Amino acid sequence: MSESTTPGKKGNLTGSARKLKDNAADWHNLILKWERLNDEGSTIATKIVNLGLNKKSNMESDVLMEGGSLAAGDHSKNLKQSNQELEEECVKLQDVVDKMANILSKMEKMVSDERGICELEAFQYGEKGRAEPLFHTWPTHQFAEVSSKLYESYKQELALKKTILQELAHTSNADLSMVYLSSWLYQPYIDDSGKLLLESLLLETGHRPL
Amino acid sequence: MSSSVVSSLHQELKQSFEVLRANRAVWERALADCEPLLSAIGNIAVQLQALRHVQLANTPLHSFPGLHERLHYKLSLAVDSALGKLAENMDALQRARDAIGRQVSAVFQFYERNTHTLDIAACVSRSAVCPSVSDMLEWLQDSERHYRLQLVQRRTLLQTLTPSDLVLMETAPGRWASLHTSAGEERVTDALCQVSFFMETE
Repeated sequence: MSESTTPGKKGNLTGSARKLKDNAADWHNLILKWERLNDEGSTIATKIVNLGLNKKSNMESDVLMEGGSLAAGDHSKNLKQSNQELEEECVKLQDVVDKMANILSKMEKMVSDERGICELEAFQYGEKGRAEPLFHTWPTHQFAEVSSKLYESYKQELALKKTILQELAHTSNADLSMVYLSSWLYQPYIDDSGKLLLESLLLETGHRPL
Repeated sequence: MSSSVVSSLHQELKQSFEVLRANRAVWERALADCEPLLSAIGNIAVQLQALRHVQLANTPLHSFPGLHERLHYKLSLAVDSALGKLAENMDALQRARDAIGRQVSAVFQFYERNTHTLDIAACVSRSAVCPSVSDMLEWLQDSERHYRLQLVQRRTLLQTLTPSDLVLMETAPGRWASLHTSAGEERVTDALCQVSFFMETE
């Protein structure tokens, strides 16, 4: 794709600038989608923990009521039902995590695209890069750096979510369950600097008015 | 002489109840906005408590670098943001109380300036549609005191909250709810009901 022959879809940006601007918009949209999935997942995760706690208390009351066989039969029916419900919720959470993994792979692709753009520029203009910035002030490699930083934080976050998904239904420790839930909801690896990076990216590419 | 004073005192009283009614609505809205924030704080305190109890190194989360600090930081941020929003709501409560307080003290000043022309009979006489001046002054004073006390108690509760004392934070929603005195609220409602005909008279 040479810069002069690629007409922009919107406006008259072409080539690398077009690609970087589109990527910036994609970052914004993917992160929004991620946040929605995070909320969705948080609701499911809370349900899983509650079901787990119920199951545990049911099992405890089973022990107490060992004498009454009728009651015990009732309980095992309950238990079966709650197990099924638990499994359904886990499948839903798995689905959320899969969608997040999908988002992450799109992010990864953007990072590698932008590295490619940097390499292209190094090839065209030498090590120093182009004389004029593509947008306002950022040199081209800064886009790749920002993307890569954002990608790293989401990658770590996804790893954390995968661990939570695996462990959530199996822990009997209420405190640990709570830590899983708050780790899911508050996303400790996505910090404020990420928000700042995204906003500056949007500002630089003109998605946000200066 | 006395009758013109009584009628301007009546005007002042009407205005006071008007201010009371309007600011009670403001107060109730701001107070309703506080509740979810308080319960959020209680929730986060439970999460911080859990984080304190768990040794992450002994859990499947051990491989995540700095998780404890990062999560603690995020939770503390969430507390800060809830406290910040609560402070805004407290300002709204304060403004409502100030408006009521100003108006009530104005009407009392007016009354005190004119005590020489207002005899006891004029102050305690009442009709089917118009409560006595002394009753109305009393209701206003009671209402003003109710909001003043409420504000002080609620503000004191919030001032004791710090992220280092999780138990205080955890119990905050319950203590906040227990500050609600239906007797105090009812007295204001009663007062406003009792002056409703009076407010409509010219």
